Amino acid sequence: MRFVGTYLRALLTAAAILFVIDFGVRAAFPILPRLGDNFSAAYLRRAIAPAAIDGRTVFMGDSALWGYKLAPAQAAVTLLRDRGMPAVNLSYEGGSTPNTYALLKLIFAAGAKPRAVVFNVNSKEFNAADSAYQTLYPAVEQLAWPLFDARDRALLAHKQSDGLDARIDRSLGRFWALYGLRVDVREQLFGSVDAATALANLQHRLSGEAQREADAHRPTPDRFLGTYDLEPLDESNVGVAFLERTLDLLRERHVPAYAILTPTNHALLHDYIDVPEYRRNLSYLAAIAARRGARVLDYDRAFAPAEFIDNDHLTAGGNAKLATMLRRDVRTGP
Amino acid sequence: MDDRFIEVPGSRDVREVLQTDPLFRVLGLRLGSPWVLGAAIALLVVLILIFGPSSDSRFIYTDF
Repeated sequence: MRFVGTYLRALLTAAAILFVIDFGVRAAFPILPRLGDNFSAAYLRRAIAPAAIDGRTVFMGDSALWGYKLAPAQAAVTLLRDRGMPAVNLSYEGGSTPNTYALLKLIFAAGAKPRAVVFNVNSKEFNAADSAYQTLYPAVEQLAWPLFDARDRALLAHKQSDGLDARIDRSLGRFWALYGLRVDVREQLFGSVDAATALANLQHRLSGEAQREADAHRPTPDRFLGTYDLEPLDESNVGVAFLERTLDLLRERHVPAYAILTPTNHALLHDYIDVPEYRRNLSYLAAIAARRGARVLDYDRAFAPAEFIDNDHLTAGGNAKLATMLRRDVRTGP
Repeated sequence: MDDRFIEVPGSRDVREVLQTDPLFRVLGLRLGSPWVLGAAIALLVVLILIFGPSSDSRFIYTDF
């Protein structure tokens, strides 16, 4: 009996200490300048809360808007914030119009009221072969799936497990902040998904292998063969369907919407996209946005080849120019 | 001669060292007490959460 009492008291002590630590994590974990490489549902809940969104211009979309391969401080949305625009960067690597729609549903379900929503429309993501065509980012899917109706669900790939372990994991993540935010804490501490990966990356860098790989991966046109599908777009396309739903939702909520036609490196992709079919598809997407009341910002050809890292990701200089253009084109006043 | 159990004069085992540690004495703790055990469990959980392997992986983004 004494033995059981000792262990019970030990467990209660452990629980009390973890509770105090959790209180600290909840209070101290910051809202980051942009979503992390790997962000959790627990972090996303904080990032879309009214306190983080209300009265701000929310940017949503893919890695092009997120600031791929750049430090958070170099991303266009951070620069806009530095220049006085109340802006929130909710774009992430793996974004697409279904992801934008899901995020928007979450924002409204949380009761948040953005001043305006700016999102990018990237023609490569309307290709059924694209990894984000009908797949949601895991944390977004976890939170948004219950908000979808049958019509939405029918178009998307459901990747989340509904097994017992997944349900326990989700429940723990809801009330235990350190558990729910563990991937975000690791990202902040190690700059990677976990300590082991951070060590492996360090070794990769120190051995010179990372540099050799980067050299071997210089973007050449052949890498983008099949990236852009030039078949005529119509409403059967999942990306188009969710673009329409996104715009309808924004109009229904009376939120000003801006659709950026993503800057694209035409010099690199000349052989694939400098054809009438590409422009026709882009015009089709722009017309959908304009018809539903969004302002279309056509940045497709607005950047020089030297301002790109690859096909659609901008350099630090490119991001600075993008910030200037957005400052000019996005109205943030009443 | 079996030299595995040679006793070094003046040596103390780890239990003794910890129990005479100033921090333990100030806090009135003793090794094996529920408080020490509980703190050890909490520390272990925190370390696992921070340094453990990640099962949350981004799986949809592919580099060019």
